Amino acid sequence: MNSIRTFSRAAGAVGVAGALVLVATPAAAADTATVSVLHAVPDTPVDVYANGERLLDDFQPGTLTDPLQLPAGSYDLAVFPADAADGSGTPLLSANGVAVPAGANATVVAHLKEDGTPVLTPFVNDVSAVPAGQARVTVRHTAAAPAVDVRAGGTPVAPGLTNPNEATLTVPAGTVSADVVLAGTSTVAIGPADLELAEGTSTIVYAWGAADKGGFKLAVQTISSHSAPSGVPGGTAGLVDDAALPMPLMALSVAGLVAAGAGALRLARSRG
Amino acid sequence: MRPAAATAVLGVALAVGVPTAWGLTRPPASVGASVEQVIGTATAPSSSPTAPTSPAPAPSTSRAVPSSPTAPPSQAPSSQAPAPGAGQGSDTAEPAPLPAGGITVRDAAPQVIPAAAPAPARLTVPTLGVDAAVDAVGVEPDGQMTVPAEVERVGWYRFGPVPGVAGSAVIAGHVDSRTQGLGAMAPLREAAPGDEVLVTDAVGGTTRWRVVARELISKQVLPLDRIFSRDGPPRLTLITCGGPFLPEFGSYRDNVVVVAEPVP
Repeated sequence: MNSIRTFSRAAGAVGVAGALVLVATPAAAADTATVSVLHAVPDTPVDVYANGERLLDDFQPGTLTDPLQLPAGSYDLAVFPADAADGSGTPLLSANGVAVPAGANATVVAHLKEDGTPVLTPFVNDVSAVPAGQARVTVRHTAAAPAVDVRAGGTPVAPGLTNPNEATLTVPAGTVSADVVLAGTSTVAIGPADLELAEGTSTIVYAWGAADKGGFKLAVQTISSHSAPSGVPGGTAGLVDDAALPMPLMALSVAGLVAAGAGALRLARSRG
Repeated sequence: MRPAAATAVLGVALAVGVPTAWGLTRPPASVGASVEQVIGTATAPSSSPTAPTSPAPAPSTSRAVPSSPTAPPSQAPSSQAPAPGAGQGSDTAEPAPLPAGGITVRDAAPQVIPAAAPAPARLTVPTLGVDAAVDAVGVEPDGQMTVPAEVERVGWYRFGPVPGVAGSAVIAGHVDSRTQGLGAMAPLREAAPGDEVLVTDAVGGTTRWRVVARELISKQVLPLDRIFSRDGPPRLTLITCGGPFLPEFGSYRDNVVVVAEPVP
């Protein structure tokens, strides 16, 4: 039951990071958490139960749920092989009393550890605003594989990534050709694959699978957190300056002032 | 004496009257509804961080990715069979209730994002004599929206919506330049509610719009989140500079913001 310990530890991490997320996004609903579930254990369709109630039926490897708004609270999670009778038998993975704090945004991933045993890992998603024109990309190592280098266009951008860790970069929006190689080598494990990093999004890329179970694959999750440009420049010459009276009118007004002065002066002299 | 008095009175009248008349006859800085009223919703963009950007329905028929032979077809809302004996609604009150209804599950393999609608290519406001080529633009290193340097061209913010889909499509242009004179967007200062605006896209399609608001807003308080909102009803937002020119900054104090609604 090694996996349970791992999950409890990781669940603690969600608790801590969830509080941080809550600070960062005070607008988030006060009493719910956003949780997505990714199935990244090869070859094993599963049913997922939460608090004894079936949450996901016949959940296939390589699939991801849409973000679920879950009431904050404590959850007992259990993952059964999909072909087992409902709710019976020994769970493949389980974790009791998982704290889901309000305001958190997390993805729970069922995947293989480096040694090929299944595990549940909750990852906290960065939902802070992405600067205009940029894209955030997070790569997560959830495959039964040793350390890898993640490369974009052949250049390592996340070197030495190990299971179950992640690396995050903020890059100009666009399409990158990404591949994954064994750390320090040019032995390609996955890809290359074109990844579209849309502006204003967090794109989370999971490397998952196992060499002896259909090979290594990529899974992608996208979270929108765009922001607006900081302003709109619009002119540099002052040709349509709105503050000043146009020159001819200014001249007319000054002429009126001069005439008034001259008239007043003459009036004063004739009186005196 | 009499002529002298008359001169004095007339002079004062001229000195005061000319600027007053000028001020009174100028077009008002803002007409129509306020920009905040007509664009978008109260939703700040970052308050819905969980919305998936990939168009939600996306049935993953475009699984052109070779690396997922085992992935099943994405499951449409996999209806949640209720627990035995729980009736047929999953919204029966339970401790820590789970989401009602089905949970959408999709293939997580990298997707080919479907091509967006064609970008706008030409902006026309017949009543104002505006007719300008449109470039697709992004942001400058300092975070401001890019605006084409040629003042006769205008820029469409390509990270936001295309005109006609949900949210505010932004097209901006310089009002003037020291070397090029007045810009294509200069007449925007006289836009009035009801003016027709036409946007022609790269493949010849045209969307028709009607101005509902023109507002002069200080750049300091420009409601950027609202103006660049990516949800809410479709709006076309035209922006240039206006207000007093600040020589020490080489720029104008305000933005002229014109918002148009689609004409059905």
